[in-house]
Amino acid sequence: MAHQPQTAANLLEEVLQRPTVTGAEALMLSLLAEGVDTIFGYPGGAIMPTYDALFGYMDRLHHILVRHEQGAGHAAQGYARVTGRAGVALVTSGPGATNLVTPITDALLDSTPMVCIVGQVYSRLLGTDAFQEADVMGITMPITKWSYQLTSADEVPEAIAKAFYIAQTGRPGPVLLDFTRTAQMERMSKPFSYKKCESMISYRPRRVPKPEQVQVAADIINRAKRPFLLAGHGILIAKAEEELKAFAEKTGIPVATTLLGMSAIDADHPNYVGWLGMHGNYGPNVLTNECDVLIAVGMRFDDRVTGDLNTYAKQAKVIHIEIDPAEIDKNVKTAAPIVGDAKECLMALLPLVKKAQHPEWRAEFDKYAAIEDEKITQTTIHHTGHEIKMGEVVSMLSDKTKGEAITVSDVGQHQMIATRYYRFKRPNSIVTSGGAGTMGFAVPAAFGAQVGAPDRQVIAICGDGGFQMTVQELGTIAQSGLPVKIIILNNNFLGMVRQWQQLFFDNRYSFVQMQNPDFVMVAKGFGVNGHKVSSREELSASLDTMLNFDGPYLLEVVCEKEENVFPMVPAGASVSAIRLE
Amino acid sequence: MTTYTISIFTNNTIGLLNRITIVFTRRRINIESLTVCETERQGVSRFTISLRHESREAIEKLVRQLRKIVDVLAVFGYLDDEIVYNETALFKVQTPLGGQTIDIDVINKDHNAWVVHWGIDYVVIEKSGTGDEIMQFYQYIKGYGILEFVRSGRIAVGKTEKGLVEYLPEIGGWAIA
Ligand SMILES: Cc1ncc(C[n+]2csc(CCOP(=O)(O)OP(=O)(O)O)c2C)c(N)n1
Ligand SMILES: [Mg+2]
Repeated sequence: MAHQPQTAANLLEEVLQRPTVTGAEALMLSLLAEGVDTIFGYPGGAIMPTYDALFGYMDRLHHILVRHEQGAGHAAQGYARVTGRAGVALVTSGPGATNLVTPITDALLDSTPMVCIVGQVYSRLLGTDAFQEADVMGITMPITKWSYQLTSADEVPEAIAKAFYIAQTGRPGPVLLDFTRTAQMERMSKPFSYKKCESMISYRPRRVPKPEQVQVAADIINRAKRPFLLAGHGILIAKAEEELKAFAEKTGIPVATTLLGMSAIDADHPNYVGWLGMHGNYGPNVLTNECDVLIAVGMRFDDRVTGDLNTYAKQAKVIHIEIDPAEIDKNVKTAAPIVGDAKECLMALLPLVKKAQHPEWRAEFDKYAAIEDEKITQTTIHHTGHEIKMGEVVSMLSDKTKGEAITVSDVGQHQMIATRYYRFKRPNSIVTSGGAGTMGFAVPAAFGAQVGAPDRQVIAICGDGGFQMTVQELGTIAQSGLPVKIIILNNNFLGMVRQWQQLFFDNRYSFVQMQNPDFVMVAKGFGVNGHKVSSREELSASLDTMLNFDGPYLLEVVCEKEENVFPMVPAGASVSAIRLE
Repeated sequence: MTTYTISIFTNNTIGLLNRITIVFTRRRINIESLTVCETERQGVSRFTISLRHESREAIEKLVRQLRKIVDVLAVFGYLDDEIVYNETALFKVQTPLGGQTIDIDVINKDHNAWVVHWGIDYVVIEKSGTGDEIMQFYQYIKGYGILEFVRSGRIAVGKTEKGLVEYLPEIGGWAIA
């Protein structure tokens, strides 16, 4: 049959007859348009139309089926933290959505971009207490940067575009889309088209700083005798590692990081003096109260960093470089704020600051470092007692991986030890729950990080307590074959709580001891290989076995039971009151 | 204690009131009055919130937190002398047959209040003014027997030359041409 020439009229007719896509399929197309490659999710009734659409997109959108929605959220966070792009979590309504509450809270506190897509009942059933209906918009309003309820398919492309824009720009954070079954199932009234969101009138985060603010800060820095720079997570988010390095090298200013700012600067860089806060290093904490100018970049003066605010850096002129204006003067009064993206701000400052060395001032940090090294670090890593100390394990791991791995630590003593003893050589290498301190974060965040950074070694460092909070994600790891390594530093205690009970509650150990399972057997039950080590002689070989294993692996290390983490700034005390024992 | 008036301009989206009040609740700041209306600009709502607080710093922090909300266009905080402000109150007063008659002259001339509805044995009087003026009228009229009393939140406009919407980013057309 001869090919019929197409007239404008019958082309139009054909296009009009071609069905438009459903809201669920529009979601798939929108995610692809945003460059999403992986979704972490768990299906259920209200999100089934979307899972049905996903079935047709399996080859383009990789989906990882978690074992609990909390795992999907933390995995999306892990992914986001190593890629800088929003992680995507897809869950059903009601309990599926409420299981995401913890990761969303965590992502808000740690400025992690995350897009949560949550099923919801049919639009006409909203507010009727329908099966698996929960007021997810209401529940998550205090913990999301933005949220939106979709009640029609036509809204999908624009809502997704906004969601990614808001999650990933300014101070990043979690956003939530409450996707009614109606919006998933109905067809769009027009052909699908997608336009990335590039600006919003009601949301205009400042990236480039005001020159006046930069100048004022530069003048203060140029007059400083004892300047000190605190580098936060904002450096990593803004990808400003090179600018930080150049700034530190030109000005000679010593640099400490926050917990989440760790790995923003090479641990062996001559300007790096350690980390801040409750279990941070001796010098950086004490000298915070002796510097004359404190330059805080991309950090928010969390109380775990500042201790008692009334005695925090009162002698110093504070320069606060921060993208979120609400953080300026929130906790610490600023002499010179610079609102903007950390990279842009440091770039603007660099030509205005003078070259300097500050040798005497930096020698003071060395003095404190030597004391800490002698009193704590050396005795820990060269420990000879019967039991293994956590620090020995992490220090050995750091050497074996040459500081190149991504460590994903859970929450507790082992977290502080992992941060203390791992010497980070590359940016975006620490993934941990800082602001929320969420136990159970590490295992799911680790496989999320592995998906985001497939070429890097990812090692979860867990406590025996926290590991059990998301242990079921071993199933996800086994099924996906992700080569995540998990180390359990088992002290058979909820160690961090026990330490506080010992030090501040008169040794009254109230419910901090658990009967633990055979972790290796549990792992094997899930299809993950592993072994347990309890003697120092076998530690090195055990770590090698784990690191060289092709595939996921769990290593349980039996550690000293009642080891305490030092240094420590007691809660509510001044940073100068840091204790070495 | 100082009275502050906060004007919040927002996109007209569902749930925004919730997001705004969350900021107040988290910081334990009590809202004294709240009025919401659409502005002269289409799709833009205006929240006028009055509150009393001893710390200006706390209110400044509150304002910065409010500005963070994605659908908020702008937030302005004011002291009383920087604005012209008013409230409206309605008084339902009993006028039973043979009872004490109300004095319209005093109500109109001394109190700037107006009877807006005549019932068989009651009247509804509208009184606009500052909170103090409304309370003065309340004291005057209560002897007649108040059946019902309701008072609106504060509304306010700034004393600056330009209207506040002039400071907003340009969006859409004018609702009221
Ligand atoms: C979800 C959650 N619940 C409770 C806590 C309080 N908490 C902080 S550390 C800790 C103990 C952690 O024990 P474990 O995982 O064994 O780590 P360890 O401190 O022994 O290294 C607890 C209970 C928390 N941070 N998160
Ligand atoms: Mg433990």
